Amino acid sequence: MKLSDIWAEYVPALLTGMVTNFEISIIALLLGLVVGAPFAAMRFYGGRLAIAVSAVVISLMRAAPTFVVMFFLFNVLRDVTVFGVKLQMSGMMTVAVSLVPYAAAYTADAGVEALRQWDRGSHLGALLFLPNITRAFFVIVMASGAAAAIGVPEGISVMVREAALLPTLGDRLMVFAVGIVLFGVPLQLGLALMRWLQRELGRRIVRLA
Amino acid sequence: MRLRVLARLLLAVAALLAPLAAARAETPDEALEALLTEARQQCAQPSDRLEKILCGKRLRVGVRDYYPLFGVREGGIHVGFEPDIARALAERFGVETDFVRVNAATRIPLLGEDRIDLILATMGHTTQRDGQLRFIRPHYYQSETVVVGPKALRIGDWNDLATRTICVTVGNVSNAQMVSHNTRLMLFDEAGVLPDRLKDETCTLAAQDDSFFAFYFTDRAFAERFEPKFGFAQVPWGMGVTKTGSDKLARALDLLSQIYHRDGTFLQIALKHRIRTVFLEDQQRIWQRPDCNTADGSGNDACVLPALNLELKPTPFAASVTAFEDWVEKRLGIDITLPMLKTQSAYSLFLNGVANSLILIAGALVATFAFSILFGFSLGSDFKPLRRLAWLVTMTLQSSPIVLTLVIAAAFAHALLPYSAAVALGASILALGLTNGSNAGQAVSEAVISLHHEGGEKGMTLFVHALRRSATSIVAFLINAAKGTPAASFIGAPELLGALTDVSSFSSGRATIYCIVLIFYTVVVMIVVWACGWLRAWLEGRQVPA
Repeated sequence: MKLSDIWAEYVPALLTGMVTNFEISIIALLLGLVVGAPFAAMRFYGGRLAIAVSAVVISLMRAAPTFVVMFFLFNVLRDVTVFGVKLQMSGMMTVAVSLVPYAAAYTADAGVEALRQWDRGSHLGALLFLPNITRAFFVIVMASGAAAAIGVPEGISVMVREAALLPTLGDRLMVFAVGIVLFGVPLQLGLALMRWLQRELGRRIVRLA
Repeated sequence: MRLRVLARLLLAVAALLAPLAAARAETPDEALEALLTEARQQCAQPSDRLEKILCGKRLRVGVRDYYPLFGVREGGIHVGFEPDIARALAERFGVETDFVRVNAATRIPLLGEDRIDLILATMGHTTQRDGQLRFIRPHYYQSETVVVGPKALRIGDWNDLATRTICVTVGNVSNAQMVSHNTRLMLFDEAGVLPDRLKDETCTLAAQDDSFFAFYFTDRAFAERFEPKFGFAQVPWGMGVTKTGSDKLARALDLLSQIYHRDGTFLQIALKHRIRTVFLEDQQRIWQRPDCNTADGSGNDACVLPALNLELKPTPFAASVTAFEDWVEKRLGIDITLPMLKTQSAYSLFLNGVANSLILIAGALVATFAFSILFGFSLGSDFKPLRRLAWLVTMTLQSSPIVLTLVIAAAFAHALLPYSAAVALGASILALGLTNGSNAGQAVSEAVISLHHEGGEKGMTLFVHALRRSATSIVAFLINAAKGTPAASFIGAPELLGALTDVSSFSSGRATIYCIVLIFYTVVVMIVVWACGWLRAWLEGRQVPA
């Protein structure tokens, strides 16, 4: 594979595909916050029953494999009619919704911890919720590559498609290496930002204490 | 004496001419003419459909109205290969045609409801359909499933397709055959989307009837980018009439089909509509043969094609499964379908899928634990080159989405070894173990460094304490590895998700199938979570919970 082909065709296509990964992740995270926050509140403020119910639901959401949930939604929910309305999610929305159990379980766990800190009067400690959610966002970005399995034109599917056309393992590895760099740079930058945020907040908490 | 000789001579001549006369009567043309003449005389009390058609002067034909080249409706007029055949038949009968729009789901019910006399609508002749209607022989066309892909992609045969994803439609008769060659299927409800998914590169390969793709290959832009790679699963297409009350109609159509093949009528109509003619050219040669060009030719196995047999062997307990489905629907009102228990091939895929999933999960857990120790040791090592190499590998693995890591592992595996289920499972275990093990190993190394700073311990004792300190992280990544195992289906590992996706491609019951997969994996992951609680307690040196 020529270097000029990589820059002229493959990289722009991959970057376009990666935009889809980020779109999926933003939708999944927002939905995860909406679904997970009430469970965090139930676990923190609720009675025994509410705590038990939220614990069971969060355990189930944590245990559900994203890949299987995605296939379930893709193959089952597209045939479901609710109150006379046929549910027809796009491929991108299907992947985003399949990531919601993970995002919601993570939100509930981080949310309970944040509420606990807030209750103790450590408002900065509660703010650690933000870097934690940032970490979840990048995990979701990486997991959104599963979308390739149902034909969503995101980053991984661009790589797999490009690699399929190449005859040698060396050429394919070149395609994959570019992909790892392009996925890795925002991931590592994001994680570095998260670590910096955590450090800064930690320092301020110590100073205030 | 002379008179006796003359009489004997006349008898001999008559005896010689009699078989010739009989043979002449046995040509399909004469048999058809005789049949039509007889049917036209029954108008006072028509009983057979042929008599009703001839006396009513109308032939009601079920045709497709959106199957390019074969049957489409343009400005209210039915055009294509099949409507033109219908017109030729009607002309021979001396009647008018009434076209009725049908699709794959409605064509046989409409025939049963006496709303059409004849189906002429891209219908494959299978042994299952033989029980529902009477197929006309010889068949008027034959299609095959063709794999279509980009010209740049080198695909020669089944070996080149192993582990590749092929876009197909649910229920396609050839899906089971593709599954048996280790391909992965991406399912779509409608064939119409396949060319678009090829064009927008959602699908690298698609498989569908060659008759379907024929139209798209008339588009220059499509033909420049894609080509048929190879074909398989030939299906003869037949006209269909009802099994009862249509004996004479069926006989007339049998004879007409013979004549149209022999005289090239079908071939001329096909050429007019620019569809593939290889089959029709072969058929013309067959029906011009003296042994086939007889009134009984359509019953001669040497001349006609057999129906495609797609019946799958049922399991010994298929009837009990059906009874159970009915019981659940009656008692609980839940419509469940368990196709994986009803046929031998589906049952075998299901059992192998469960076994492979369990092997995959166990392997991924062992590999994750082993790699966490290896990476933990390497990242916490005092030997700089080893530490730097381990850091580089960890960063690379962390920057690669798990699906991509699986694809890379599969690329290496297939470059070194031919495809097999064991190779796909091995590559998946390696990828899952490396990804999760490197992350867990990083936690172990951080524990090593922190213990190092605290001082006091060295060597093996320090490492064991580091494992204890990082037990929570190790367990978290073990659970993550178990949760990630279904993604192995993406590289062709025959675990439960992949196996049941294959089953759903050639049977009904997708909702039940995916509910079962979801429940299976959720339960297995919960068991892993529970077991990991014990492991964490053991690693932390605590007493395991009772």
